[in-house]
Amino acid sequence: MIGLLIVPFTRVSGYLIRLLAMIFFWIGKTGCWNIISGYTGYIDFGAVGYYGIGSYVTAILMSKGHVPFLLSILISGVVSGLIALPIGLPTLRLKGAYFGIATLAFAEAMKQIFLEFDKTVGVNFFEGPHGITLPIGPKNEFFYYIGFVVMVAVIGITYWIRRSKFGYALRAIHEAEHAAELSGVDTLRVKIKAYMISAFFLGLTGGVEAYWLTYITPHMVFDVLITIQMVVMSLLGGIGTVLGPVVGASFLTIIYEVLHRDFPYTYAIIVGFIVVVVVLLMPKGIVGTLTTKVKSEKILQA
Amino acid sequence: MRKICFGVVIASLVVVFASGIALAQQKFRIGCADPLTGTFGRDGNLVKDAYTFWADLINSKGGIEVKGKRYPVELTFIDDKSIAAENAKFTEKLITEDKVDLVLGGFGSDSVFAGSAVAEKYKHPFISGAASSNKLFDRGFKYYFSTLGKATEEVRGCVDIVQVLSPKPKTGAIIGSDILFTSLACEGYKKYAAQNGIEIILFELFPITLQDYNSMLLKVKQKNPDALFVGSHLMVAMKTIKAMKEIDFTPKMVTFSYGPTVPDFVKNLGKDAEYVLAASEWAPNLPYRDPLSGTARQFNEDYFKKYGRNPDYVEAASAAGAYAMQIAIGKLGITPPVKEEDRVRLMEELHKQNLMTFYGVVKFGADGANEAHPPVLVQVQDGKLVNVFPKDAAEATPWYPMKPWKER
Amino acid sequence: MLLFLQSLLNGILLGGIYASYSAGFSLIFGVMGVINIFHGEMVMLGAFLTYWVFTLFHIDPFLTIPLSVVSLFIFGYLIQRFVINRVVEAPPMISYILTFGIHLIIAYGALWAWTADFRTVTTSYSGFNANIGGIIVPYARLATFGLALLVVVGLYMLLYKSEVGRAIQATAQDKEMARLMGVNISRIYAITFGVGAAITGVAGSLISTYFIVFPQMGLPYTIIAFCVVVLGGMGYIPGALWGGLILGVVQSLTATYLNAGLSGALTFILLFVMLIVRPAGIVGKGIVE
Repeated sequence: MIGLLIVPFTRVSGYLIRLLAMIFFWIGKTGCWNIISGYTGYIDFGAVGYYGIGSYVTAILMSKGHVPFLLSILISGVVSGLIALPIGLPTLRLKGAYFGIATLAFAEAMKQIFLEFDKTVGVNFFEGPHGITLPIGPKNEFFYYIGFVVMVAVIGITYWIRRSKFGYALRAIHEAEHAAELSGVDTLRVKIKAYMISAFFLGLTGGVEAYWLTYITPHMVFDVLITIQMVVMSLLGGIGTVLGPVVGASFLTIIYEVLHRDFPYTYAIIVGFIVVVVVLLMPKGIVGTLTTKVKSEKILQA
Repeated sequence: MRKICFGVVIASLVVVFASGIALAQQKFRIGCADPLTGTFGRDGNLVKDAYTFWADLINSKGGIEVKGKRYPVELTFIDDKSIAAENAKFTEKLITEDKVDLVLGGFGSDSVFAGSAVAEKYKHPFISGAASSNKLFDRGFKYYFSTLGKATEEVRGCVDIVQVLSPKPKTGAIIGSDILFTSLACEGYKKYAAQNGIEIILFELFPITLQDYNSMLLKVKQKNPDALFVGSHLMVAMKTIKAMKEIDFTPKMVTFSYGPTVPDFVKNLGKDAEYVLAASEWAPNLPYRDPLSGTARQFNEDYFKKYGRNPDYVEAASAAGAYAMQIAIGKLGITPPVKEEDRVRLMEELHKQNLMTFYGVVKFGADGANEAHPPVLVQVQDGKLVNVFPKDAAEATPWYPMKPWKER
Repeated sequence: MLLFLQSLLNGILLGGIYASYSAGFSLIFGVMGVINIFHGEMVMLGAFLTYWVFTLFHIDPFLTIPLSVVSLFIFGYLIQRFVINRVVEAPPMISYILTFGIHLIIAYGALWAWTADFRTVTTSYSGFNANIGGIIVPYARLATFGLALLVVVGLYMLLYKSEVGRAIQATAQDKEMARLMGVNISRIYAITFGVGAAITGVAGSLISTYFIVFPQMGLPYTIIAFCVVVLGGMGYIPGALWGGLILGVVQSLTATYLNAGLSGALTFILLFVMLIVRPAGIVGKGIVE
């Protein structure tokens, strides 16, 4: 960990800094997804909606309102978190597949709304397909550290949740929601809480990455592929585990980097195969399978 | 322990860089992040083919000539999957990790927007021949160059042609997909329509992901415009023609900002592609020439020999961009490995350049756009693209009005 | 008035197209509980099959239908039997991700094999339409609508009038009971998947004549199939028709009277509302977990 903090001061290439920063951000995003979907088992296919909202809030605040960066991203997180409430309330009552589809619909609707809003209402606010250009940001090292902080925050919260009563309730919902409800757990409230926390950090991350990218359009920040990456990274690492997102995001980002350059077409095919193999042979993901192995060995030894 | 690891890492990096530098000395290494898959995969591959054409051509002569010696060129392409953020990342990788001498731009305003921002940061001249959105030129960048003019100007020929058509179209409808280039093309249509006295009775941008065009075009058909102006890339152009036929809609003329010049358009649509007009910035019959590629017509023929298809104007523009860079390098006497000061001088030289090429004049304005490049208009006639406007450059008269589907 | 009727007809025909490629999705979910993320790839495969047979052998697209049916059936059967069958018992999350992985393999495999070029099937009669009292009816789309009706009726016959069909229904309703009664569950699943794939593939074959064909076209089709079956009721086959029609008409009228961009937003808002208010679909016969 300390090593990671020192890296930018060494002479490693700007590219490596950027790569590590990207890994941090993916760990952060995957971690957010894990907080809601990993713990409760409600597969959220619309996570990118909050990411996009956060991106736009920061973009507008910084480019039109000249609001400083840190304040902007905090506001982005808050706005996303608040929007999660009216969206989560109805959708978290749905079961399994329906929740997934509803959240997907939410994210896609958001994309369309941001694309059409200006035209329909007749203003020049979100800029629709033209996108928004943010002020030019500092060098990659800056984003490296921000990414690091966000990642630590998200993973830290995931860990804290796991050991808290809140986390216990979440897992109870995953295992047997009905039973949890009967034993007095206000399941909706618990689910909403997790959903809003996840949305807050996704919004915040969206704001940071918007500043990093310097230019955003609805197509870029509401891309369903972003959600899908979060899902696959979680799966690979181990859904519902604390370190799962770390392992999954790092592994997949690195594979992507290694393969993508020389095998542009086959990279995706290989990821597809990895996903299939992991699902069939290691459904608990890397961390999940390892932990179970360790646990069972401990039990056998006892 | 940590200190030892650290030392090893530094040492190995030094070795890698040193050997990289040693190897790089004899040739120019040029990198390009380009969409090879995804929405613009097809178009991105055209750009790749164009740069490869130029590289193979110059290498067949031994390489770029600098101070009497020849240095071959080595191209590296990285696929950005039509995702702008990826283009930024890969452009940075090419510059900082692979330490290429120079970069060239890929296809499309989105990718180029992102990649050129990175290039500007690292003071790498970035020439593109495949992106024209006005916003690209509004950023105050010094290192961004484009052999294409601005999107809103590119479509000028599409509208000005009404001056030579009779009976002159009086009304027009403008539709286009909602992404950067095409929405700007639509604004260009609007501007020139006003200048030509055409009344615009409908203006609509639709999502690039729209599956079915019939219902939207129905609205256009009902308003009965004389001319239909479409902001498009290849896929949108193909879908529009198919839909127009299905709902039996034939305005007097239909023109696309991009698409018909890609050979797939005519190949896939066959007879249905006839009469279609398209914006272009180049046609083989134009009186341009340069020492490397010969005349425009020769470029056209050589390209056909190499790839089995005629070049699209974007391919011509891209190859011309690479050529412009080559000439500037030769003039300044820059040899590989290229240092930062060299690239700054290269940037200044490119701004001063006023070069005749097989593609036409390349003269970059202060904002990077090619100032001296008049747009032309081509039309599909008997399965071939012919230059129909402006009159002094035309090789055929425009077919007008468009024959209704049922009469063909 | 004419404009309205034309737009309405467009919507109905579009709805038929939607229904034709969504019915398979509904069937698979209804019987096996699997949400198939590579559903759109089956449309793509059917479309490409027709494209290549047409381009290389000059066989009319409508004549390629039997080929599509057989090929895609085999494809679906094998994939289910050897890959998906292993996860039908697992939580739904697993099947999403597995089918997503398969989606990547098929879509990018196709991209690698056939390149990103955009293609379409243009026959001598492409785009031909009938003009009935001022309303234009494109033949190819009408044919697809006919196919959708055929599929729904055909599936109904299969499920209610054949022995295999009854076994499928039994499996869908109560798997354990069916197993006790001697039904070979994995075989039934494989057949179901094969049938779902076959009808989807045929829809793809016809679609190649008026939409654009390219390796990555699948995902938007999968998303629309989601929408259609939610609107019509998950697992309820005739619901694919209702859902398709609702979606098609709403989109068409919006595109004609408002703007095309809103038709996309409305689709998702409609979907969202439906899930909250009436998750069992418009007719109320869908499966709600």
